[in-house]
Amino acid sequence: MFNRGIYAALLAAAVLMTQTGCWSSNEIEDLSLYAGLAIDKGMVPSVEKGMKEKGGAYDKKNLVTITTQVIPTKTGGSKGQQGGQQGQSGQTASNQYYNTSETGDSVIQIIRQFAIRRDRPFIGHHLKVIIVSHDILKSIGMEKLMDFVLRDNDIRPSCLVLLSEGKAKDTLDISQVPGDIPAFHLKGMIRNRYRTNKVLPKVTLTNLDGLINSKRSFVLQNVITEKGQIQFSGAGIIKGSDGKWIGNLNQEDVEAISWIKGNSRSGTLKYYANSSEPVIYEIKSVKSVITAKADGEDVSFHVRIESDGRMAENWKSGADPSKIAFQEEAKLRFEEDLRRKLDHLMNRLQKEYKAEVVGFGDKLKIQHPKLWKKMKHRWDEIFADVPVTFEIKLNISDFGSSLQ
Amino acid sequence: MFIRKDDKISTSQAAIYLNNSILGAGILAFPRFGVQSVGTPDVWMSLLLSGMIAMMSVLIMVKLSQQFPGRTVFQYAKKIAGSPIGAVIGFIMVMYFMLIAGYELRVFAEVTLFYLLEGTPVWAIVIPFIWVATYLVHGGINSIARLYQIIIPASILILILSFGLSVRLFDINHLRPVLSEGVMPVLSGLKSMMLLFAGCEMTMVLVAHMDDPKQAAKAMVYGTSLPLILYLITIIVVIGGMSADSVMRSTWPTLDLLRSFETAGLLLERFEFPFIVIWMMQLFCNFCSFYYGASLGITQLFGAKLRPVILGITPLLYIIALMPKRINDLFGMGTFIGFTGVGLFLVLPILLSAVYIIRRKGLKQNVQ
Repeated sequence: MFNRGIYAALLAAAVLMTQTGCWSSNEIEDLSLYAGLAIDKGMVPSVEKGMKEKGGAYDKKNLVTITTQVIPTKTGGSKGQQGGQQGQSGQTASNQYYNTSETGDSVIQIIRQFAIRRDRPFIGHHLKVIIVSHDILKSIGMEKLMDFVLRDNDIRPSCLVLLSEGKAKDTLDISQVPGDIPAFHLKGMIRNRYRTNKVLPKVTLTNLDGLINSKRSFVLQNVITEKGQIQFSGAGIIKGSDGKWIGNLNQEDVEAISWIKGNSRSGTLKYYANSSEPVIYEIKSVKSVITAKADGEDVSFHVRIESDGRMAENWKSGADPSKIAFQEEAKLRFEEDLRRKLDHLMNRLQKEYKAEVVGFGDKLKIQHPKLWKKMKHRWDEIFADVPVTFEIKLNISDFGSSLQ
Repeated sequence: MFIRKDDKISTSQAAIYLNNSILGAGILAFPRFGVQSVGTPDVWMSLLLSGMIAMMSVLIMVKLSQQFPGRTVFQYAKKIAGSPIGAVIGFIMVMYFMLIAGYELRVFAEVTLFYLLEGTPVWAIVIPFIWVATYLVHGGINSIARLYQIIIPASILILILSFGLSVRLFDINHLRPVLSEGVMPVLSGLKSMMLLFAGCEMTMVLVAHMDDPKQAAKAMVYGTSLPLILYLITIIVVIGGMSADSVMRSTWPTLDLLRSFETAGLLLERFEFPFIVIWMMQLFCNFCSFYYGASLGITQLFGAKLRPVILGITPLLYIIALMPKRINDLFGMGTFIGFTGVGLFLVLPILLSAVYIIRRKGLKQNVQ
């Protein structure tokens, strides 16, 4: 019996050892979570210039400037006017985030550099969005810029990637909604695909990894900023061969891409009656079938788009949208509008940029794998001369809750 | 509540035991090996074929083992091939079991250290793991099998749940075109997909411990089909969700798939963490299988007592687990284990069976 008592005591003592908690735990209060990361062309911020004069430099080239968005800031304000208290009555205009920029030539060195500038070390677990400016993508390819974030163990590959027309850091410093965190704002905006087909399907780091590896051109959603306001506008084309930015598509081009892919869940078409009275068609559903035809080495595509929609708005005076005759006429005009958008897109892709970003290549790959294998290495050039025909069938299935 | 003294396992326990010997660390990285060796999204076909081959070899092993009721391969290899050769075969198998146990342990430690417990020393993860396993293995094959019965529903549930949530990323076009370059890539993928079934040579140990060895064929086929089905689901979901181009560049593609989405509104936002935690138990099972296999082998080869052997090989397992100096070494070790395994479960049973048949039928010898 005595023996058993000793064993029990030893066991109890051993169990105690497991009660000490996590070995390498970090209290979340002691960490800086960054939710947004903006990558810009190297520009030395004034703080850094000042620091450098006092000897705060290391061996680096000023290739990229990284701006991180840290949330939440300490209550009480960490950067004078920018930090502030939130949630207290009446104080809605203060920000909950804190942006810091640092310049260098390696993403990880720059991020680790914040450790000698801030009291709480950075942790990437909650990075939601990465914004890359066109400017840096003109000189450095996507693959290099994204290398670290794809390798890191903290940053999740569910993080979104966007492009920015102007400085990427400005997109993280917006004042659209008071108390809003720009990184979350951007992440939320990408969900609005069900309201408009001007938003491209989201591209996460995982998707981007595949796109980069496939060496094919692709598009990423563009963000523009003006006076602290932000907007998704069109898309930037990344050339597959070197991962560099070569140009932009506008909002209507993005709509056209959504039409061709048949993945838009919402969106509009419009024509002007009597030159100034808009009539609007709203998408209820879109279906598209892309057929790749191969005749020896000659490839052509036929796109059949079918859409169901609603007479959503009518300014035309004296017209009755509930009449079949009116709908039939409107339908033709809507098809015209869609055709115009499609032609504009094809012109841009085939003549101007010589980059195939819609996904015709995927269709060729699936429908004619042998041909694709031969063509994939210079697909962008081949595509520039490939004929693409469209067949559009719109159907106005209802006119809403008003007759006239 | 009865406690069994004879240390035998039931038919379903045997099936689960074999399943847990096969299903292990492979699931975390194999989509990458598959895509790299096949080059097209047709990896699932190679996998299916490998599964079939593994199943046939399992059946051969069962037939062979049934000729020697109650005896494991360590014992009957000597009978068939003669003492010295049999001992060598047994010794190779013991070494192999230990290697694979150490490998599972190290993969587990690597993944946990990278994603879960950055900064924890590796021994703090490995040593408690071995201790707990030692305690379990002490209880014999029956206790091990009963623990497996508890763990397997949990690990299958979390696997299916995590994959189910990733369905929104799934795009069937990532798996197309099917057979774009003919069957050659599929065949060249066999080599790397066969490695996944390393562990099924445990059959030659399990049949001896079965309550009802007549049911062995059924049990072992179930035990091989379950991992095959789970691997198939994995490869389809991972390639369909990430695209072959992306899988090719990911060190742990299965985990990266789970890291590629966040679920809002559910109890948990990120599913790689519960997955790693639950899969930890699965790796533990895998480790215990081989740990037990190795101890049993040494016992039967050298006529030693089981318990001292179990304790005695713990340092060896620790050393093997910490042997790879870098992650490349670890993956290299995995490939080496795979090839050895393929040799053991494809070549060895056929050779042994051939010798057995020749001696029984041809030379009319009494091989018992």
